[in-house]
Amino acid sequence: MMTLTVNGERREVPVVATIGELLDHFRIQHQAVGVLINGEVVGRADFGSAPVHEGDTLDIVRFVGGG
Amino acid sequence: MSAPFPIIRDADRVRRLAALPDVRPRALERLREGAVGVVGVGGLGTAAAPYLAAAGVGKIRLIDPDVVHATDLGRQILYGPGDVGRPKVEAAAAALGIQAPATVVEAVVARLGADNGAGLLAGLDVIVDGLDDGRPRDWLNAYAVETGTPVVFGGALGYEGQVVVVAPSGPCLHCLFGSVADAAADCAREGVLGPLVGVIGSFQAAEALKLLMGLGTPLRGRLLQIDLFGGGIRVLPFAPRPGCAVCGGQGVPRRG
Repeated sequence: MMTLTVNGERREVPVVATIGELLDHFRIQHQAVGVLINGEVVGRADFGSAPVHEGDTLDIVRFVGGG
Repeated sequence: MSAPFPIIRDADRVRRLAALPDVRPRALERLREGAVGVVGVGGLGTAAAPYLAAAGVGKIRLIDPDVVHATDLGRQILYGPGDVGRPKVEAAAAALGIQAPATVVEAVVARLGADNGAGLLAGLDVIVDGLDDGRPRDWLNAYAVETGTPVVFGGALGYEGQVVVVAPSGPCLHCLFGSVADAAADCAREGVLGPLVGVIGSFQAAEALKLLMGLGTPLRGRLLQIDLFGGGIRVLPFAPRPGCAVCGGQGVPRRG
């Protein structure tokens, strides 16, 4: 397991290598989702390669489309 | 016999606004000279537009292709049963005309898209996003980056809503989310709590008024998230993303 801070909460998650794997763990679709790792925005094209390390702080937000 | 309505002077209408410590007379002039576009007059648009008119905004352009449906009445509070079947912009313009006769309200029955967008938005100082799907929002974001016209984005679905301002010197929507064309947006399937659109639309109106008057700190580069189910609010700061396909990581340039 690894410890991450996700949306302000400490979470124990199975060890993942990339943001893409973390989103899949949470069953979050990759479309119209914003991800910040340690405060930096990660582009969707980089989800599969951007690394996640023990202790990282992540913010995951979905775009809310209704109006 | 007395007149049906007392005469309301513009100065009376905005007296409480003018009493705010940061609001100078010049700010009130900017509202009077200002033109705000409300793109989509559904839940968000019907909440935002009356506050814009009430504050003395000079011109409001309402843009929406749809008619009022009975299923809108639970949250789109400018409309009543007699408006069902009527174009939304027409019903909304009539309501705003009663509320604030000095405001010029333009009602445009149209669906914003790449083909007609620049013409529909010409001459506007600020745009309030009241759209209910993602694709035109991608275009609206690109328009903000291209022209420097501030756009107050808003979204509401279920119990959850968000607001973010795309304006000069700040990041664009694409920096954070990429394309939003495929974002979940279907209130018919997911439902929506009525007051949510009021909360988000009112926030958007406040941001639009602040931008016009040039005061306060806009939600530029900060995503406001509101969760009415749990009763929580969060603000997420973000910067332009290097390599962003829309703004190139430069954010929104200054206007002109």
